[in-house]
Amino acid sequence: MAAAPKIPVEPSYRDIDRSVLRVMEPAGLAYWAWIGFCFTLVAIAAGFWLRQIYSGLGVTGLRQPVMWAIYITNFVFWVGIAHSGTLISAILFLFRTKWRTAVYRAAETMTIFAVATAGLFPLIHLGRVWFFYWLLPYPNQRYLQPDFRSPLVWDAFAVSTYLTISALFWTMGLIPDVANAREAATGWRKKFYTALAMGWQGTDRQWRHYSMAYLLMAGLATPLVLSVHSVVSWDFAMAINPGWHSTIFAPYFVAGAIFSGVAMVITLLIPMRKLLGIEDLLTEWHFDNLAKVVLLTSLVVSYAYITEAFMTWYTGDPIEQMTFHMRYFGPWGWMYWVMVLCNCVIPLLLFSPRIRVNMRALWIITIFVNIGMWFERFVIIAGSLTANIEPSQWAGYRPSITEIMITVGSFAWFVGLFSLFAKFLPIISMTELKEGIVWLRKALKMDRVKAA
Amino acid sequence: MSTIAIISSFADETQCVQAVEELRAAQVGDFNTFSPIPSHKIEHAIGRSKSPVRWLVLAGGISGVLTGLAITIGTTYEWRLNAGGRPLLSWPPFIVICFELMVLLGGIFGFFGVLMLSGVPTTTMAPGYDGRFGEDRFGIVVRCDEAEAARVESMLKESGAEEVVREDEAQPR
Amino acid sequence: MSINLQRAHRERAAMKPRAVESVAGTTMKTVAGAMIVLGAIAFVLALIRGGATIAWEAYLVNLLFFLGVAQGAVVASASFYLTQAKWGGSTPYRLGEAFAPFLWVGFFLFFGLYFGRSLIFPWVTHPIAQKAAWLNTPFLFARDGIGLGVMAAASFAFIRVSRSDGARAWTIATDEIELPPHSIRVFAPLVAVLFAAVYSLIAFDLVMSLAPVWRSTLFGWYFFAGCFWSGLTAMALTAAVLRGRLGENNLFTNPTVMHDFGKMVFAFSVFWIYLLFAQYIVIWYGDLPVETFFIVHRVHHMPWSPLSVACLVLIWLIPFTALMSVRAKKTPVILGTVAGLGLAGMWLERYVLVVPSLSLDAIPFGATQFLISIGFLGAFLISAVPGLNRVAQAATSGEPVGDEAE
Repeated sequence: MAAAPKIPVEPSYRDIDRSVLRVMEPAGLAYWAWIGFCFTLVAIAAGFWLRQIYSGLGVTGLRQPVMWAIYITNFVFWVGIAHSGTLISAILFLFRTKWRTAVYRAAETMTIFAVATAGLFPLIHLGRVWFFYWLLPYPNQRYLQPDFRSPLVWDAFAVSTYLTISALFWTMGLIPDVANAREAATGWRKKFYTALAMGWQGTDRQWRHYSMAYLLMAGLATPLVLSVHSVVSWDFAMAINPGWHSTIFAPYFVAGAIFSGVAMVITLLIPMRKLLGIEDLLTEWHFDNLAKVVLLTSLVVSYAYITEAFMTWYTGDPIEQMTFHMRYFGPWGWMYWVMVLCNCVIPLLLFSPRIRVNMRALWIITIFVNIGMWFERFVIIAGSLTANIEPSQWAGYRPSITEIMITVGSFAWFVGLFSLFAKFLPIISMTELKEGIVWLRKALKMDRVKAA
Repeated sequence: MSTIAIISSFADETQCVQAVEELRAAQVGDFNTFSPIPSHKIEHAIGRSKSPVRWLVLAGGISGVLTGLAITIGTTYEWRLNAGGRPLLSWPPFIVICFELMVLLGGIFGFFGVLMLSGVPTTTMAPGYDGRFGEDRFGIVVRCDEAEAARVESMLKESGAEEVVREDEAQPR
Repeated sequence: MSINLQRAHRERAAMKPRAVESVAGTTMKTVAGAMIVLGAIAFVLALIRGGATIAWEAYLVNLLFFLGVAQGAVVASASFYLTQAKWGGSTPYRLGEAFAPFLWVGFFLFFGLYFGRSLIFPWVTHPIAQKAAWLNTPFLFARDGIGLGVMAAASFAFIRVSRSDGARAWTIATDEIELPPHSIRVFAPLVAVLFAAVYSLIAFDLVMSLAPVWRSTLFGWYFFAGCFWSGLTAMALTAAVLRGRLGENNLFTNPTVMHDFGKMVFAFSVFWIYLLFAQYIVIWYGDLPVETFFIVHRVHHMPWSPLSVACLVLIWLIPFTALMSVRAKKTPVILGTVAGLGLAGMWLERYVLVVPSLSLDAIPFGATQFLISIGFLGAFLISAVPGLNRVAQAATSGEPVGDEAE
């Protein structure tokens, strides 16, 4: 791909359009090879899943008492990744944050695909996946109904609501952009964008309803994002299992979700801005602010680790203390300390303003955060089950090849979908970037001054 | 006397706002605007009441809560399960379901409300629509009596319009 | 620029407020002084006449509440820097810092608890062997005293740099994206981080340890989120009150600014109920006696049950319903009333957290506790006098505000 022409320091609306629409031009061979690679991995994972469906959960490493392990870890991990998108698109919108406009589309796209990935895992984890609809209430002859007092039922409602609302919110933001892309496109793309834009024209009447609804959707999505990961955390906290039953779980999981999600946004955006030639639209200023969110949530997560450790010691409850002792110093203790290193120690580097805008350093730090957050979920979910109330039940757990390949496949599925999106739909919201063009101009000026 | 449409385009939001203000003050014909961004200034200048979509969202939210209550209470009575001695109607879990459904239906009502109120999906473009209005131009289309056309045109030009054409002269793009 | 916009600008320039130097002075000091004296007399009388427990309960409740308000407001100011808030120029910052002198007052009053320790902390008279390493008198007063001292010192260091010209210039440079001055970037995060740590400690030591078997990992967070909200609410109430006293065109007559105060009161009230519910549902579901008793005593036990409901109504239900509409947020009478009721609710919440642990079967509220509360209020007001005058000066300086003045 040819180097992108540099955008002027004082970009106009047209410069923004040109840079964003340029990304959507037909892709080269390397791109298709990458897509092919991702979906081959997905196909392999699908094969393993089919085998698991055919022969049963015995092909996994799940044995009593560790019946929740990698699959549920992946579920929580991917739901968590989703949260940054809604944070950036809805919560920061309500806070009138200026830097969100350039990153929000990419982040929200990530939300959609991450929830879509997460939603697969409870299904994969089902022994008889064809009965998945039993979680939903529907009239039936035997008057059997789901128990609404079960957190797993809340989860079904929360995650499907989250997927629906983020998809609607995301589509809404896309409409004006696609209408804009429609004008420049040719061939089948024109038809595609024309259909997606649904005849949007940007009249005052349309904008009036659009702005109001956008604000209200953001207002609805904000408590939703808190509720979804809270509900996910309650899948664990409702049980009286030591290591799970803790009141701090809801906000702590939400903070962890945003932490890992924003880290993932950075991990994806840094190579993307380079490959797609949109470095001028995603400036150092944007990354500086994203990195601050990572730092803040890292501190919150550290606060939760410390509080949990303290409270376990404070209660003097021997069973709980034993569970935590095993968590810190047991056979899987190394995972806990990897997690502390990745989630609490390494992100402290982001206190330095210079590291916050050093793309290479930032990229590596966020990779560590992603690793750390995956381990965090694994330590909490599977780790707490290995050393439970009854020492006679203690057991280990070893993931099988099926679980590992499906995990790898989920990453490929997510990255593949995201890569497809990036080439076919506007990965940066032109409308919103134009709305906040003043701030983009300031950011570019700041970058150039620093570079000079 | 026949009604004609005058299409003007502006490079600058402020000029467009000014033209809107003057058109409103002069009370000639009716007009609508096109803009690449949701402009609060233009919205303010046109001065319509707030979008009714908020009532739709409210209605959606309330019906979500009611649906939540109906399914939780209804199904519990259909399948009376004793879950660890907890009351049959346990409100803390039901709040979670009601909340999720409130957001779900509120959001769905809001989204489809916008589509309905802003007349999409559609295949017919409003008269005067031009692709540039999605990119970087602000447009005003005035429908007025032929007799007033000259006055409107000069008003638009004075406000800083780059281009003012009558509908029959406009080139379809 | 269009003619109309030019006109609007000219009109706005003509609407400059008349500068006000002072809004609180001798009268306020006299009244507040009288309140302190009343409170002190009631406290001493109670100690002499055998109502010591009642007096110490009120002392602790008020200490927690007013320290929370003062500290929460300073943290609000710090977090405005961290989020680069410029919606009200420098005034919201001055407003957040206005109550800070009470931090030192509260720091010294905290050590007063030493003399009432045997009446307040059950574990002083009945030590718990397992927890003795944490729950013992010297360690508790040392760690919390150091915590509050460091917190107050950090807050004052922050306030000093926040009042500097550089920081003020940054708050009113509404169309710049540069970060605040370096000293702010050191002290604002420091204050925020310390707040979470120290106020969690206070929550565990001065509230949770009154029921020594009880525990809730979220309790510290819940407690300081309440402090933060009470700080914001006190700021909104002050804004609504000062609006009518600072003459025409002062900052608080700007509906957008009041709208923003209203939004914050609304949003963090919802956050507070979220944290409450997050604890409640976990404890309700787990149904472990060691956790549930704390809630049962307060929610299902007479005479406390109506008071707990009243907390929910005052802190969440009223702000949530009354401030839902934009117009209500912009109406100072409504915002002020809601904020006033909210502060009363937060005081009540502190009361319901503390007192049932010490006297479960009756509400000991009477003349003694009322007058002691009045005394604390007096101390709070008298320490706010210089800060309020600074707020008045900032709000009538006619500086530019807001990035989105729509």
